[in-house]
Amino acid sequence: MSTETNVNNTPDEEPTCSNLSKNNKKGLLNWLKGHKLSTLRRFVLIAVVVFFLLQFLRVKIAVGSLTGSLAIWFVNLLDVFAYLESIFASKDFGLIALLSALPILVVYLIFGRSFCGWVCPMDYIFHVADRIRKCKIFDFKISPNYGYIIPLVFLAVSFAVGIPVFTNYFSHLTNFFRSLTGAYFFFMDLPVAVDVIIFSFAVIGFLIILELIFPRMWCRLICPVGRVYGLFNKVSRLKLMITDNDLCKGCKACDRACYMGVKVSDYVKNGDKIIRDSNCIFCGRCIEACNTKSKIIKMNLSLK
Amino acid sequence: MEFDRRDFLKLSLTAGAASALSGAISVFDNDANAAANKEGFEPLPNINIGGIIRPPGALPEKEFRAKCISCGVCVNVCHTMKYDTLSIAGLSDLKNFGLPYVKDTRDFPCALCMECLKSCPTGALQPVKKEDVKMGMALIDLSICFGWNGDVCLSCSKACPMGATIFDFYNGEWGNQPMINDKCVGCGLCAKFCPLGGSAIKIITRDEYKKVKDNYLADFKKTMNMTNEERYNLVYGVNLPLIMSRGRIIEREYRD
Ligand code: SF4
Ligand code: SF4
Ligand code: SF4
Ligand code: SF4
Repeated sequence: MSTETNVNNTPDEEPTCSNLSKNNKKGLLNWLKGHKLSTLRRFVLIAVVVFFLLQFLRVKIAVGSLTGSLAIWFVNLLDVFAYLESIFASKDFGLIALLSALPILVVYLIFGRSFCGWVCPMDYIFHVADRIRKCKIFDFKISPNYGYIIPLVFLAVSFAVGIPVFTNYFSHLTNFFRSLTGAYFFFMDLPVAVDVIIFSFAVIGFLIILELIFPRMWCRLICPVGRVYGLFNKVSRLKLMITDNDLCKGCKACDRACYMGVKVSDYVKNGDKIIRDSNCIFCGRCIEACNTKSKIIKMNLSLK
Repeated sequence: MEFDRRDFLKLSLTAGAASALSGAISVFDNDANAAANKEGFEPLPNINIGGIIRPPGALPEKEFRAKCISCGVCVNVCHTMKYDTLSIAGLSDLKNFGLPYVKDTRDFPCALCMECLKSCPTGALQPVKKEDVKMGMALIDLSICFGWNGDVCLSCSKACPMGATIFDFYNGEWGNQPMINDKCVGCGLCAKFCPLGGSAIKIITRDEYKKVKDNYLADFKKTMNMTNEERYNLVYGVNLPLIMSRGRIIEREYRD
């Protein structure tokens, strides 16, 4: 098929980290053309982080962190897993918390797990970490379904000790934004404990080291926030569709491009028309990687 | 050369990993109320703060810890309001880690703008009316307060957002003798604006107040019922030297 563009990995190439980012060398403009979704994704992420940084200039577009925030001056938002932990820890239904979590619930009923690919700052941090790692792509042996244990364990522990354990101590989101706030307060001479800053940076540092050893293990297996959002993928309005299964060349470029270890090509081979994988973060890398000219994988947002 | 610990930490954080380590060591002397407990300089040294002063509208301690997810909205909202009252608690008390608290009202009192509790997404801070806020309780140290030692000073009552409902004055020849009653919300504005060096007012938790209330009121009654001579000896013999040693402070900075 010489008419097909060869923007991406050829099937026989060894899937290593270095040839995943090889396309960059072909010029920025070409890269942008082939990576519209990735570019858009970066813009969304940067916009979100910039909005959160604006809180230090006293602009309340996004205040707090991605676990709980105040958006556009008056809307309270609460992450769904943080809500669950909070009600488990307090053994109280929590009307205020529910009202804050509802808008987020609606967003995930529409967009599924896209938070992980489009908004979560760890996605970009991990992406940068991936670039300095010279290694084979980590082939995942443990089924991501074991990941369901982790949110359950954290909910049980939260219930037992009466503190939202994951969100308070270990959450990448809490610690990312806490380290920003802490560092800013520190340099502005505002009251802040130094150990808060050190702890928060340490957690992020630990996750980066984890990423260097086991790429995306955090996202695929451990992160309870993503796991809970993954459940929404089964019903979300946003989904991946396969337009023409027969056009697939079996090159598995999509599988290799996928951060999350989704076996996209298996869905194509099985004749599925729709991919509702709980690990899909709607990053669109499989679409960009697809070697068919018309891109048989499509992102689809519709009411049906 | 005097080396301020804060400057030192700032330097070390900028200097990078090696000196950041020395910052990590100082973690262990980072007490939540370090500033307030600066030895010999705080009012009522015999009375403990008794825990942690939470933001206004906070649920009782246990429920608060269960609900709060450490999202930092309240802390940052307080910053956007330019009050900077709230801080994030450190590792010294693990149960408390990451939760918001009022570090030292002598530096940053709560202005009762009521923004943080409106913004809390979890309901750990409940929306309440200003009058119903119960962050803590302000106690005047009678031994160093100007108003109790032959002077007339209205600074605290003028700073208090609740004003007349909270302050009682026992005017006499030993001063205008202010007292704070139970309606105090604990915002700490009085402590901030007390002109005495180190402030003559201490904010303690409501729980602690329940414990020390009787003793404190007994002290108050004793001072009120003193004979003129006893009072003279107390004021000139004990209290004024204390006051002189602290001085009047116009530019205040109690943070360490
Ligand atoms: S399946 Fe595609 S969109 Fe989903 S995570 Fe993998 S590469 Fe991204
Ligand atoms: S009421 Fe206002 S000043 Fe007081 S802690 Fe909350 S945000 Fe800060
Ligand atoms: S806004 Fe509420 S949940 Fe968030 S840190 Fe403050 S008290 Fe906790
Ligand atoms: S007495 Fe002090 S702490 Fe109490 S409400 Fe008035 S200013 Fe606030």
